[in-house]
Formats: sequence, C-alpha cells, structure tokens
Amino acid sequence: MRAGFSESLAGRVVRRLSPERVLHAFIASNLGFLAADIALAHAANRFARREEWWPIAFSVCAALLLVPSLLRPARHAILRRVELLVGAFSVAVGVLGMILHLQSAFFETQTLETLVYSAPFAAPLAYVGLGLLLIMARMERPETEIWEAWVLFFTLGGFIGNLALTLTDHAQNGFFSVSEWAAVVGAAFGCSFLVVFLLRPESRPLERALRYVLAFEATLGVLGFALHVRSNLGRPGSWFDRALYGAPLFAPLLFADLAALGAIALWSRARRAKA
Amino acid sequence: MAQFKWVFVAVFLGTALVVAALLINARRPSLERSQPEAALVEATGKCAECHRRETSTVVHQFERSKHAAKGVTCLDCHRPAAGQESQDHRGFVIAKELTSKNCAECHSTEYEQFARSRHAAPSWAAVNGAKDFSPAQLELGERYHKGWVDRAAMGIGAMEGPAALASGCNACHAVGKPNADGSFGSCTNCHSRHSASVALAREPTTCGQCHMGPDHSQLEIYGESKHGALFQAQRASLNLAANPKQLTTSDMPIPTCATCHMSGLEGMKVTHDTTERLSYFLFSPVSQKRPNGERGQAEMKELCMKCHVRSRIDKFYAAAEQVLLATNDKVKAATDVVAGLRAAGKLTAAPFDEAIEFKEFDLWHYYGRTAKHGAYMGGADFVQWHGNYELLKLRREIDIEAAELQRGPAAANSGGPSLSAPPVPGAASSTVPTRAPAQPAPSAH
Repeated sequence: MRAGFSESLAGRVVRRLSPERVLHAFIASNLGFLAADIALAHAANRFARREEWWPIAFSVCAALLLVPSLLRPARHAILRRVELLVGAFSVAVGVLGMILHLQSAFFETQTLETLVYSAPFAAPLAYVGLGLLLIMARMERPETEIWEAWVLFFTLGGFIGNLALTLTDHAQNGFFSVSEWAAVVGAAFGCSFLVVFLLRPESRPLERALRYVLAFEATLGVLGFALHVRSNLGRPGSWFDRALYGAPLFAPLLFADLAALGAIALWSRARRAKA
Repeated sequence: MAQFKWVFVAVFLGTALVVAALLINARRPSLERSQPEAALVEATGKCAECHRRETSTVVHQFERSKHAAKGVTCLDCHRPAAGQESQDHRGFVIAKELTSKNCAECHSTEYEQFARSRHAAPSWAAVNGAKDFSPAQLELGERYHKGWVDRAAMGIGAMEGPAALASGCNACHAVGKPNADGSFGSCTNCHSRHSASVALAREPTTCGQCHMGPDHSQLEIYGESKHGALFQAQRASLNLAANPKQLTTSDMPIPTCATCHMSGLEGMKVTHDTTERLSYFLFSPVSQKRPNGERGQAEMKELCMKCHVRSRIDKFYAAAEQVLLATNDKVKAATDVVAGLRAAGKLTAAPFDEAIEFKEFDLWHYYGRTAKHGAYMGGADFVQWHGNYELLKLRREIDIEAAELQRGPAAANSGGPSLSAPPVPGAASSTVPTRAPAQPAPSAH
C-alpha cells in the first residue's frame, strides 16, 4: 500500500516535471544557495564592509519570493511581476557586486596581480546570469528553440565566468599543482562547445559531443570538490578556518551546476524533437 | 568526416582558450608562480589582500622596500623559525613573534656580528642582569664581553619601578633582549619592520633614538660636529640606500654614525658589531682601553683616512685621548672623595640614599661621559660646557657636601643595608643598585 502510494507520488512528480519548472527550480535554488556560499566567502573577510551582507539578504529574500511560483505552474500575474522584479534586482546586485569586488584592489593599480588578488570579480556575475535567466524565462515561451538557445547562452555565460574564476583563483595558488589546470581546460571546452553549438544548433554530432562535454563538466565539478576537500584537509587551522581560508569548497560544483543548466536546454530540445 | 567539422571547430576553440590562459599565466612575474611551497605563492598576494584594509601602512611600506623588489614574500619573514611559537593565521602558519632569528634565516652573517656586539647580551644585562638569559645566551655573551652579561641588574631602574623600567630603560636596552628562540633582540629597532631599510639604519636619528640625552649624548654631539653640520647641509645628495657591500665615498661623502661604526666603505669590512672600531670603554666611569682597542682604533683610523690625512687623524686622536685621561682623573678624584666618606662611616652602605651619591653618579654618568664622547666625536661644546664645566661644578659641590658630612655624625646604617633606601617595587632581593665602579665593569648604562 505504502510502496504503491510512493510510486504514485514519484510518478506524479516526474509527470509534472518540465524543463520550464526545472529551470525555475534551478534559478530559485541557485539564488538561495548563493546566500550560504557568499556567507562563507565574506566570513573570510570578516564582513569588513557592511555591503557584504547585502547579497546574503537579497539571496534569501529572492529564493523565498520565487517559491510560490515554483509551487503553482499556472502563475498569477502578480507572481510574474515579482519574478521580473527579482530578476531585475538580481542583475543590479550582480553588477554592483562586481564593481565593489574590483574596487577592493584592482581599481587602485589595474595590474594582473591586483586582478588575481582582488575579491573574485566574476563571482557576483552569477547574480547577473541568474537574474537575466529569470527575466528571459518570463519573456520567452518555454520549451521553444529560442528559449533553449537563451538557456544555452546563459550556460555559456556561466562557463566564461567560470573560466575567469578558475584562472584567477588558481593563479593565487600559482597553479602549484598541475591538476589545477584541469579546471581551466574544463571551463575552456565548456565555452568552446557551447559557443559553436549556439552558432550551429543543427549539427547532430556537435549536440552529442556537447552532451558528453556537459557530463564531463559535471564529473569535473564533483572531482574538483573532492580535490578542494583534500587540499583543505592538509591545511593548518581548525575545520572552520580551513573552510574559510582554504580552497573554496563549493566553487568546483559550479561546473556541475552549469552542466545541469545546459542539460535542461538539451532535455527541452529532446522533448521537442520527440513531440 | 565533414559532419564532425563543428566538433573540430569547438575543440580548436577550446584549445586556443587553454593556450591563451597558459600564455597569460606565463606573463605573471615568476615570484608569483615559482615558489617552493604553495603557501609562499599565496603569500605573494593573499596577505596584502586583507592587510590593505586592516593595516594598510605595512603593505605600502613593504611595497617600497628592497625586500619587495627582491621578491621576498610576507611569509618568508613571518614563518616560524626553529624554536619559535607558531599560530594559525587565516590559512597561514606564522610566528607569534618575530625576532632577529627570522632575519638571520637570510642575513646570518649580519646577525652573528650583531650577536657578539654590545648591542646584544650586554645591552640587556646592563639593565636587567643575567636572569633572563638561557645558558647558551649567557655563554655567548660572556665569551665576547666577560663580566658584562653574567651580572646583577641595574639598581636605579628597579628603584624607579617596573613601569619606568619597561617604558624607559628597556625600550632601548631591548635591542639585546634574549628571545625564547635563543636569539637576541630584533633587527627592526634600526631597520624598521616592513621597510627593512638600510637607509633608515644610516640615518643619525635612528641611532639617536637611544644614543641621546644626558647620559650618552651622541646624537646631540653629532649634530654639533662638522660631520653633523655637513650631513644637514648635503643630505639630499647622499645615497643613503646604497648597497652596504658596494658603498663608496661617492654614495656617502658625509659620514653618519653607521658610516664610521659599521659601513664597509670602499672595500672595508661591513660589520654589525658596532663596537669593533672603538678604542676605549667611554661609557665607564674611568675609561680603559678595550681588549681589542688597538685594532679597533686602527680600523677606525683606516676609515677616517677616506676623508682625512693621517697626521690630522693622529692629532685628533691624541687630543681626544688627553680629554679622556683628564676626565678619568677628575672622575677618579671625585669618586675617591665619596669612597672616603663611606669608609669613614659618614655614608650608609646602601647606594642612592644620600644626595652626594646622586652627584657622584651624575658626575661620571652624565658629564664625564659627555666630555669624552664630545672629544672623540668632534663636539667642542660638549667637551667644554656640557662636560668639563659641569664636572668642575659638581666636583665643587661634592667637596662642599663632603666637608659638611665630615663635620657631622656618622651615618645611621654605615655598616649595613640602609633602612632609608626607597622601596623597590617588584625587585628581587638580589637586585643591588650598581655603584659607579672605579674600573671598567658593568655600569648603569
């Protein structure tokens, strides 16, 4: 009886899943998770400036504001407006964050060194990406060719940001371990396959290759997470200190996250092709 | 094959991005890429990332330093040396306290010279006695300065109290403070911390942080001397930051304290043993030649010859020695008067409980020293008005007071410890104030 009930619930959930709803869940969960990620990153800075609390507050509010429309697929007009508002604020927070991060050192001397050792300038752009993704999702008809292209475009944007982050973050470490280049290679090929696929979406071998590339990116993310954990285990200090000042634990998971975003678009394509 | 064309394009583009990343990374300075440890790589920028906000001055000082130009990282200096306590600091392991041992990791010769100088163990012992030294530190200090390290603490500081001792005497005498890691003092007293500056150590005012005031007026004497006047007039043309191993008279045509006492001018040996080129124990009540005084004088004269002819140098030294011998006589005569009073039972055995004892102390400690330093540093006014005139005046006062004491009754505690001596806060019972010795021996300074 119980097993039957579970199957029926699981079946119902799966039946109700769609690329559009999964994308919405993706945006809401990413915005919510950024609160924890940024709390950890800014704790390393001991929240030296009051502005460092802003993205955390915004992330929590944004994630909560997106929950109602996640639960109700047939959305009320007011929920649409809330989503657009969250999207617009997200873009603003991201742009402001990037400026403030660059202001931490880079704007003083504008050298490669200060770019490397500034607060990660590309990180706040995650808000810009998520905000624009949210706005796009409310402006385009879901599960259309253009909707998929937009999703892939933002996946590409994520990989470009990831390329900058992996370069600057690992440059802080002087690429001391050769394995640190794997992240750069992963981000570079994520970018290249996505950009070519956006230009030539009709190429079937390229689409197949992109699936493998995304699977590779997801694996790379999990592997990177494991390597960062291992690196931090070898560092001095308490567990908390290691998490704060060691290799950023969640950063590699961005590969898996972006792979999931790209997969949503490919899933939509596959559903359309089937239909 | 044609159907895979766009896959190849993507692979090519990805490869191009990786190559571009490699090229950008290769353009970074090797200091930021090639270090023996990952922590040292991180230290090239991570430290400044926080300290630009928290203590921004140290970052700016370091950025202007020779250390920064040579690729030294924060961690190179701040990592714990052997025997030092460490602490976790935002992902780095650093020393709790930096000492000269950290500098000695790279500048071992300079440290060894310093460690055998009077700036090391004798300086601390002069105030605090031998109690703070480890056996190894005591042995090293005594090896080069017999009797100047294994000695009692200075009494005056203890009588004045721990606050005066800590912020007064020890603020300067910590230059030779024994550290728990076995080293002495800190190089930063003269070179500063993040600037690590040679130029700063060549500034007269740097030495003058301690070598000033009535008991050792070297800075004031230098200021009055021809050397000091020339320095003031021409300092803009001096190359104070010149490499010590390649220093020439072109860099320093005017000498500062460091030029004469330490520098390797035109091929001479550089030394961090500031006593190497000295002839006499000028600070002693009655000055005698140092054990290596002849050699020291010869080395100093060799340096003088970079600017002066031999006959002039010899004449100068002869005149200075005359002042020294005359001052010795004056001090000896005055201390004999006080010693006579004590022998006659007119003074207590305890030091510094009678006015005449302060006069006796001032006579040699202020004016005797000043006259001698003035003579050896070319400060005529300090030989005369700040030295000999005061010697004359004090001697007269001592004589008058001695005559009064001779007429009066014997001192109450002439045979034992004085009850009238002021309490000594926190002082150990073994801490006996040091009297002015007649011969070179551990003195108050």
